[in-house]
Amino acid sequence: MVELSIIREIAPSAQIAPDAVIGPYCVVGPHVIVGPRSVLTRRVAVSGHTRIGSDNIFDEGCVIGGEPQDLKYAGGATMVIIGHRNRFGQRVTVHVGTEMGGFVTRIGDDNRLMDGCHVAHDCYVDDRTCLGCNVLLAGHIHVHSGAVIEDMAGVHHYVTIGRSARVGASTPVRRDVPPWTVFNGTEFDWAPPAVRGVHEEGLKHSGLSRDEQKELRRALSELFEDETALQTKIEQLVNLGVEGEVAELCEFCQRSLQGVYGRQRELYRGKMPPEAEKYLPPERRVDIRRPLT
Amino acid sequence: MVDISRNATVEKSAKLAEDVRVGPFSYIGPHVKIGRGCVIENNVTIVGKTTLGARTHVFPMAVVGAANGGEEGECIIGNANAIREHVTIYAGAANPTRIGHDNLIMIGSHVGAGATVGDHGIFANCTSIGPEAAVEDYVRTSGFCAIEAGVTVGAYTFIAGYAGINHDAPPFAMVHGFPMRVRGVNRENLRRCGFGDDDIRALKAAFRELFSDTSDQPDASVLNKLAKSASANAHVRRLVEFLRRHPVPEKED
Repeated sequence: MVELSIIREIAPSAQIAPDAVIGPYCVVGPHVIVGPRSVLTRRVAVSGHTRIGSDNIFDEGCVIGGEPQDLKYAGGATMVIIGHRNRFGQRVTVHVGTEMGGFVTRIGDDNRLMDGCHVAHDCYVDDRTCLGCNVLLAGHIHVHSGAVIEDMAGVHHYVTIGRSARVGASTPVRRDVPPWTVFNGTEFDWAPPAVRGVHEEGLKHSGLSRDEQKELRRALSELFEDETALQTKIEQLVNLGVEGEVAELCEFCQRSLQGVYGRQRELYRGKMPPEAEKYLPPERRVDIRRPLT
Repeated sequence: MVDISRNATVEKSAKLAEDVRVGPFSYIGPHVKIGRGCVIENNVTIVGKTTLGARTHVFPMAVVGAANGGEEGECIIGNANAIREHVTIYAGAANPTRIGHDNLIMIGSHVGAGATVGDHGIFANCTSIGPEAAVEDYVRTSGFCAIEAGVTVGAYTFIAGYAGINHDAPPFAMVHGFPMRVRGVNRENLRRCGFGDDDIRALKAAFRELFSDTSDQPDASVLNKLAKSASANAHVRRLVEFLRRHPVPEKED
């Protein structure tokens, strides 16, 4: 095989697995860890305290571990943690966390982030999600496993996207999206963003039994037929004694209602989110126990 | 000392202040001037007759001063701006593209040829500022909004996500939608920028009189009345002055 010389810049202290591939014009910073078989194709910049697991692929123009666009950030050693088998399209940007927001931006396993996606500071993207082209996640967002966000959707700070939910293209998401639902709409008054039904595709691939799916479908149609008196409807359901997925759904909606503007994570504004403890590597957990200044 | 990566290309005639940092795989064209304390990260392209003021930070993959349609142009950027990843700023051929001081231009945004941007602006991801557009000071935008060519956006105005600004947007306002509509006074931004409660109240009263739920066409009689009243708040006077200079076009049916 012809061994071509590749022009790239890798800091000497970066920890790159021997079978990871760093392509031409890539720049890898001094505190970066790249796991086995991960591929930085071409012109990918990875900086900050970034840990990349195994079998990830980053296409041209990705910038991972950049400074957050939060004006309060003052250069702390905050992190990006990326799991395994994720596929990043071209021009994807992922920023490190902030001290106030929990120190870490985390992307789980088996996610697909298409071209131009942006994952801002302190976001948690769980497993098996799909983010379409140019999806913008503002800060402090939690996208649960299996969620699908279609092209050019913009998600507001502190929003939670529930498990296996689906967000339509070009939808401005300003409040929490309940799990298993389809949420779409536009800026226009005749079709405001709202829950529009059950995400059948999500249910199909959920691994839930037929009965569980039936229960969920019934609960979802009951709750979101129209969203008036959601609180009462949840209470009625809970009083009937729900369990499993339906109970989780009720709890999610309840929390969203208790949040600010329908966003449950707003309650973590200026506080340490509970996920920080879980996602930070053990040796860095000491950071979050320090009082915030 | 200038800190230029051995993998960067800086043309000989480019003028770099003594403490500028240029990252790997960046290209600095021959007619570029870069002020003190600027940081140019990796894979950045700066070309054309571009001047960068002091302490401006250009993030990876940004392109500044590219010619629009092959014509060499000029681009003047002030101090302490942050030009984030994948931002493109075109150089203006007829008029230079001008960007003031202390702006934050977020990922994937675009500034068209000959556009003018004031000071202290925050432009969220994928904001697109059209050619020859003018954006005044302290403007905030949300994601995916587009400012059409030649449009003026008044100071302190907030543009909602996905909005299309197809005619001049008044100062102190929150605007949204396409076609653009005025939604109210940008109270939060005004408060953060140090406006007093009296100022905000006066602006709110003026907005209520000028704009209705159904129309952005300011009421001519109200405009004249506000312009004549000598006691009017200085900011209200500024608003009235703007609306007289930038009339909202009649609706096309």
